[in-house]
Amino acid sequence: MPLPAKAFQHWLHVVAPSASTADICRLSGIKRTTLAQQLVRGKVAESTLVSISRALKRSPLADLAAFESYADLAGRPQPPTPAELVSQIATMDLLRAVISRSAPAYGGYGDDGSALTPALGAAPHATSVRNWVDAIDDGELRHRVSDATGVAPQNYSAQLTANRLSPELAVATARAAGVGFTGGLVATGLLTEAEAGWPPEAKQAALDALSDGELTVLAGERLQALGKTLRRQEHEQEQTKKIWENLG
Amino acid sequence: MIAILQWTTFAVCALVAIARIPSALRRENRSIFGVFVLSTVAILLSIDVSYQSIDAWLGSENYTNLILRFVVYGTVLLAGYRIAKAFDGPRSIRLIVGPVGKSVLTGVGIATVILFLLADTEGTATGLKTLPARSPQNAALIESYAAVGRLYPAYVAACILPATFVAISRPLPKTIRIGALLLTVAFAAMAFGSFYPLIPSEAGFLEYVINYTSVLCLALGLAFVWISSLMAKRALRMHP
Repeated sequence: MPLPAKAFQHWLHVVAPSASTADICRLSGIKRTTLAQQLVRGKVAESTLVSISRALKRSPLADLAAFESYADLAGRPQPPTPAELVSQIATMDLLRAVISRSAPAYGGYGDDGSALTPALGAAPHATSVRNWVDAIDDGELRHRVSDATGVAPQNYSAQLTANRLSPELAVATARAAGVGFTGGLVATGLLTEAEAGWPPEAKQAALDALSDGELTVLAGERLQALGKTLRRQEHEQEQTKKIWENLG
Repeated sequence: MIAILQWTTFAVCALVAIARIPSALRRENRSIFGVFVLSTVAILLSIDVSYQSIDAWLGSENYTNLILRFVVYGTVLLAGYRIAKAFDGPRSIRLIVGPVGKSVLTGVGIATVILFLLADTEGTATGLKTLPARSPQNAALIESYAAVGRLYPAYVAACILPATFVAISRPLPKTIRIGALLLTVAFAAMAFGSFYPLIPSEAGFLEYVINYTSVLCLALGLAFVWISSLMAKRALRMHP
């Protein structure tokens, strides 16, 4: 559930006592109508809080934790597991790592890679949400999340396919999987890695720790999933074209 | 109420037909242009005012109604074939233009003509409403004539229905899915046509509502898909 408007306004009053709503909107880049609408409905989106917190140069993670439904985020956050870190590496970066580790004859630098390999892109990436859930799923995770939140499994899956997950569900997923709460918030793009307290080199270190075999299998799985998505999109495009050709 | 529905449907079909003239001149999908022209004609032939004057000109033997039947068959065949092709239903295409479809159309066509010639059809009567009262034999003939006339549209509609129905929930552009929904409604109404005898005679106006809803949805559905293709072309021109 998004943040209650009352608690949000109380928080806003504490962190920016002298700022008007107009100032807040100008600073954070939120449209005034959007904020007004959220306040009228009594539910303020987490992303609104994060934008304001960022604009005020505060810690979005700590500010989120000040709200009752995100109290779990308070204190020292449990760091992400290596699998979670790797899940936040974009597929193309994984493939680049495969090539980079290959023999020089294939354009690589051997096992150790090279400083010439471009740095990993920042999370989130195009399939970061699904990859994150896959990384922490023991096979029963979706059912546990569904039981805990009352969200139907097919709605949950639909969100994953669209590379979306509400912050509330992201936290519930992390709780059901017994991992740190920041993973889902980074995967959904609500927080940056730095805001979540992840060390800057954490992803690269997790990637380097993968054996060639593990990396190749993982890259292969990602490539296969990407291929399926592309095939489906192509199929849809072909169908649309056919409909337009015949009826347009 | 029914008059409003009739004239609205006429206006929609006529407007889309006129709007499609330029693309028809460019030889783009003339059969869809044909569908709109034929449905405009069909509506003109079924509205009371125009029916009276056209039939008077044709000798007041209700040949206009016979022509209307064949205009409807043509429209349904053309629209059905194109739509089945567009929504990629190989089974629907085979059932409509394959041997089965051809024999259904031939059978229906012959039966329509024979039943019409056997019946006493003197004196203009829109929708042949007053003719069955003349004799029990005429009532049976006119009723069978009407039933046969509904059979072919119902057959074609039932053939395409699965293809358009599936398309509603496919991940396609929204305008196409709305078009598919409208077409599904149109064909469902058309397929329901074979069950008209089950409607009690006090609710006879329902037949009109269902008929015109079906034509209106068909025209709007096709128009929606057409507009979405025009929008896509324009977007392509602006961002090549």
